[in-house]
Amino acid sequence: MPEKLCTIQSRSNGIAVVAIPGSSDASARELLEAIRRQTSALAGKDDINGLILTSSASGFCRCLIECSTSVRDAGELSSFGQQLTFSLEKTGKPCIAAIEGECSGLGLEIALACDFIVASEAAHFGFTGIAAGLIPFCGGSQRLSRLVGKSKTKELIYSGDLVNAAEAHRIGLINRLYPEGHALAETVKLIEHICTRSPSAIRIGGEIVNAGYDIDLQTACMLERDAFALCFASFDQQEGMQAFLDKRTPQFKGE
Amino acid sequence: MPFKKLRIEIMNRVGYILLVSGSRFNKLSITTIRELKRAFAQLEDDATAHAIVLSGYPGESFAAGADIGQMVHFSPHEALHFAELGQSLFDQIESCAKPVIAALNGITMGGGCDLSMSCDIRLASESLRIGHSGAKLGIITGFCGTHKLPQIVGKNLAREIFMTSEIYTAAEALRMELVDRVYHDNEFWQGVTAFAERIASHPLTALSAAKRLINAAEDIDLRSGCLLERETATHINVMQPLAPMI
Repeated sequence: MPEKLCTIQSRSNGIAVVAIPGSSDASARELLEAIRRQTSALAGKDDINGLILTSSASGFCRCLIECSTSVRDAGELSSFGQQLTFSLEKTGKPCIAAIEGECSGLGLEIALACDFIVASEAAHFGFTGIAAGLIPFCGGSQRLSRLVGKSKTKELIYSGDLVNAAEAHRIGLINRLYPEGHALAETVKLIEHICTRSPSAIRIGGEIVNAGYDIDLQTACMLERDAFALCFASFDQQEGMQAFLDKRTPQFKGE
Repeated sequence: MPFKKLRIEIMNRVGYILLVSGSRFNKLSITTIRELKRAFAQLEDDATAHAIVLSGYPGESFAAGADIGQMVHFSPHEALHFAELGQSLFDQIESCAKPVIAALNGITMGGGCDLSMSCDIRLASESLRIGHSGAKLGIITGFCGTHKLPQIVGKNLAREIFMTSEIYTAAEALRMELVDRVYHDNEFWQGVTAFAERIASHPLTALSAAKRLINAAEDIDLRSGCLLERETATHINVMQPLAPMI
């Protein structure tokens, strides 16, 4: 059963920690399918406010891509993988990857589709597929170059080398770096902090950042203006600003 | 017409716009934004200024964001008008033919962060405290920040900054490349004026052509950008017959 490949490790205070397999004998397709089912089910739950994708120190979603696949099958796998990464970007809830070990290949593709990556000093990152003649296929080449720039992306993909967590932090691949063994605990703290903020502002803000990134400034700012105005029809705006003026903690409803 | 929320002066070819709202923190109220538009128009027209510095020096803040007391009662319609007003200021700064330097002397939050991002270069003092508190207030920014911040620090850090509503230090801002340089507090203003005067010593034709081309590069493809560069460079360089061969 694909569900077993991707389980919910814990669920409390509205935060779901999704356990991605460290390494697996399952096919890439089965892994992607399992992650898609689990994350889209959680995205639809009203009592879930944030998602963390994590795995053990052994790695983050390491698997073998079958070399026997036909061109048609490979195309289908890529299309399926890209659908998964797009849907991860559209959960409307904060989604953070917490990395404790090696995050390469398919694992890096998935981590790149999260809102951002937090890692421990034991983590390593890269696209190692080149040695087997593979390139990223779930949108990773595009997301990585938008994140760390074209030349760093080429270096990583051409060389197939892993970079350590400090280097990943330096080039902007990961947002936050913590001591070994602390990635998940720190990410839980961070997402709990984020969940004290307005869920509707986070949802709208995330959508506008994603939508605005690939379009020109004028059009992006037009979208932003409309979204900004929309906030002023929300409960959260009234509550947030009134709480600020009253110097108290806001109680958001996400509406 | 005199200014109430800021003052301007020109020294050694650098025009200064200093926010002095009178209260402890500078807020981007409707009046302040209107005065900023007038101040930028005035300095852009003044041939004695080759570069413009925008700052809240020597106060505690650069700009601590919009005026929440004013915003709390906005209807969606008024919010849209406010966003349009702010965006028109930022558009004016970006299309200003002179380099604009933001000198971030202290608190730079929300709309103040967006204002700094519409400038060409951001210099900060160690007292910088920068961030975006929209998610804490139940809103997103309406001053182009959702587009500019991801362009400058990348999408992932931009999302973290928006989602956490946290306040970041000068060192963190430098690591994220949200600011270009950080000075010790006691060397800040000297550093800012020296930097601005060095830039202002260069020919304005070259400065404004470079600004235009670099801004265009953000939105257009490589081939069109290179075409634009060729034509602009030909035009600019022909006007500088005494320039040394490069």
